[in-house]
Amino acid sequence: MDLGKCISDATQEIFQSMLMCEAHPSAPLATRSNKFTDSVSGLVGLAGNYRGMLAIHVPNDVAMAITSKFLFMDVEEINDDVKDAIGELANMLAGSVKSMLTETGTGLKLAIPSAISGAEYEVECLSDGDGVIVPFCIEEGAFLVECYLQNS
Amino acid sequence: MGKKVLIVDDSNTMRKIIARSLRQAGFEFEKLLEAADGQAALEILAGETVDIVLSDINMPVMDGIEFLRQKNADAQIKAIPVVMITTEAGTDVLNEALSLGAVGTIKKPFTPEQVQEVLGNFL
Repeated sequence: MDLGKCISDATQEIFQSMLMCEAHPSAPLATRSNKFTDSVSGLVGLAGNYRGMLAIHVPNDVAMAITSKFLFMDVEEINDDVKDAIGELANMLAGSVKSMLTETGTGLKLAIPSAISGAEYEVECLSDGDGVIVPFCIEEGAFLVECYLQNS
Repeated sequence: MGKKVLIVDDSNTMRKIIARSLRQAGFEFEKLLEAADGQAALEILAGETVDIVLSDINMPVMDGIEFLRQKNADAQIKAIPVVMITTEAGTDVLNEALSLGAVGTIKKPFTPEQVQEVLGNFL
């Protein structure tokens, strides 16, 4: 199971097909930081045969640019539209991870996506299990996609 | 003549994207209606006649599968075609939706061309 490749391929497909732009992946990060500043994070929990979390962490200015591309309108503040857009990105990415883990979908459920934002916050995840953090770069800046899974 | 379309998705962003994709695919509408979950969709269908429903599956309050079940139980709206637009690519849930009468499925992410291909027979 190549979780990093799955995330890399899914992220590029989503940005190409729905945002009409290229997201360039870099090598996965070796260590994870819990702390994020001036950012928006979209989160989706997975439960069943695997349990874990898919998250996308986007700096505010990049999150506003992504939302602008989604909605074809100017976005100048972090509002519900931005959090909804980043949450929906996490939702689509989690769907791709689910497809990789189980072709039929049996035994694996996705939670309803959620999003948080703030000047400074922390996102905790499973302390064990398999995980990967992939940095991406678009024209407006960089963001992270991470996924942690534990076999139940 | 334009059609009446109901888009059901808990994400406001996704409802806007679907509406834009329909326009980019060349479809014209008399009316575009939106609902954030299956329950809200049933309430709209109680008062509006629509030509097609495009529905997500994974939603709070009432998901897309339960929405199909309840729609099928109502003779007034049972015949309205429903296309599922979802991140759920697992064959089990998609087969369940099709067995409950969904006339097609579109996987997120999607392109306007994919929307046109699935909806071309209905709009």
